[in-house]
Amino acid sequence: MYKIMMFSGGVYKFNELKELVQDIGGFILQEMVMQTETMLHLAFPAEEEPVIKGKVKEVGGKLVDLPLAGAEIMLVAPSLGRHHAVDPMCDIAEFLRRKGAITNMMGLARGVGKRIAQIKVEEKKIIEECDAAVFIFGNFKECIEEKAKLCEGLEVPYIIVGGPPEMDIPHYVGGIGRRTERMKRKHEIEKLEQMAEGLRVELDARRREIEEDPLATSPLFIKELIDMTIPPKLGEEFSTIIHLDGLRVKLEPGEEDKVRQIEIGKRKLSDICEMKKSLYEGYLLKILPEAVTGSVF
Amino acid sequence: MEVRVEGGDEFANASYSKICQNVFRDIGLHSNVDNVYMYCNPAEHVFIISVKVGRVPSPVTVNDMTIRGDKRLKVTNERYVPRLLALLWDKFGERVKQLSRLEISVDLSPEEMQELMKMVVYDPREDLNTRILDAVDRILPEGARVRYPIPAQSQGRLTIIASENPITDEWKRKAEEMVSAQKLSEGGV
Repeated sequence: MYKIMMFSGGVYKFNELKELVQDIGGFILQEMVMQTETMLHLAFPAEEEPVIKGKVKEVGGKLVDLPLAGAEIMLVAPSLGRHHAVDPMCDIAEFLRRKGAITNMMGLARGVGKRIAQIKVEEKKIIEECDAAVFIFGNFKECIEEKAKLCEGLEVPYIIVGGPPEMDIPHYVGGIGRRTERMKRKHEIEKLEQMAEGLRVELDARRREIEEDPLATSPLFIKELIDMTIPPKLGEEFSTIIHLDGLRVKLEPGEEDKVRQIEIGKRKLSDICEMKKSLYEGYLLKILPEAVTGSVF
Repeated sequence: MEVRVEGGDEFANASYSKICQNVFRDIGLHSNVDNVYMYCNPAEHVFIISVKVGRVPSPVTVNDMTIRGDKRLKVTNERYVPRLLALLWDKFGERVKQLSRLEISVDLSPEEMQELMKMVVYDPREDLNTRILDAVDRILPEGARVRYPIPAQSQGRLTIIASENPITDEWKRKAEEMVSAQKLSEGGV
């Protein structure tokens, strides 16, 4: 199992760290060099953590755990109006990104109100394309209780956030309701931490599930191969997004076949993945379990 | 500006009180509103908001925002420059030129210049209602789209009932009572 961490530090011997990660069978997921500052998202086998820590100590940098890395999280608000954005929607999204997640934002077509709040089947499908979801549901207890019913039946883990501190509904985190200012005070950050922790627990349970019935190959490995076949365009960020059990790939028309033909060990990508067009963006690759595909290598 | 929110639970009242304060501050009406009363009934999804308008600043004239020089105007308050330039170009056309960020040349006779200095650039009363309605719209929950304005019982008071359901006569009556009680507590303003 891979562990994903963030390195931040200077440029001194920074290439050596990258080489070491690749030597031990790890991957560089994100790289950002800002003059003399560098930031790397590293994925490496969990048992190699002491080796990486030793190297980071040598080059003089910081290594931070990213508990939500490798997951795409959808933030769902009743609408994209100014009642919900910028605060608290962007505060939550920023916080989740700091924890390593890739975030998307979505406003429901008819999500506002109490009695009239609805979610469309298509919206549910879009949410289910991601690994987890965070629903942002206002300040009134009565409305949150009613709206919590919208999330029932979702096949992905989710968290509901709202204003009232305590509520008797599952997956609820209080203290993050409708607001008009940035969440920057200590007690507000603690609430965001609590929400991220809730998501981590849900995602870890999913990760364990996947580990019990392992995938044919890791999404990190497939990402590396896709990026080698179809290099990211200039200025394009996140052309390939990792999910817990697959990937989201943004492709130009005509590139789908190239991806299907990528060779992984003895097999082609199309043999070990289900590929379908996403309702939201790009293509979704769902990696089949090894029990279905047989050994790849 | 005094804000009073009632009807919801303790947390909802406190948070909506803060939302009211922040929204009026963002829109720049904080000092023009005397008090805001809000009643929330999330169980029936009815929200009543009542805003009492206070003192409104007097109109801004060219003299208030510029220093007069020899065929020149030096801007002292940049906030109204777009309105000032639009007004000057509209009235005097090519005789007015913007030389730099804060300097405007005006090729006018002394009489015209005198008349110009008295011209009103911006009257805050012009868009006061629009701005208050914008604030009310930002405060009220998004789902409460059915609106009913209560006829003003005193000058400078604006009251709106909002809900996601049709607004019944009972709520209209209740709203009027609440606003009258509010008026009495202010000392019959």
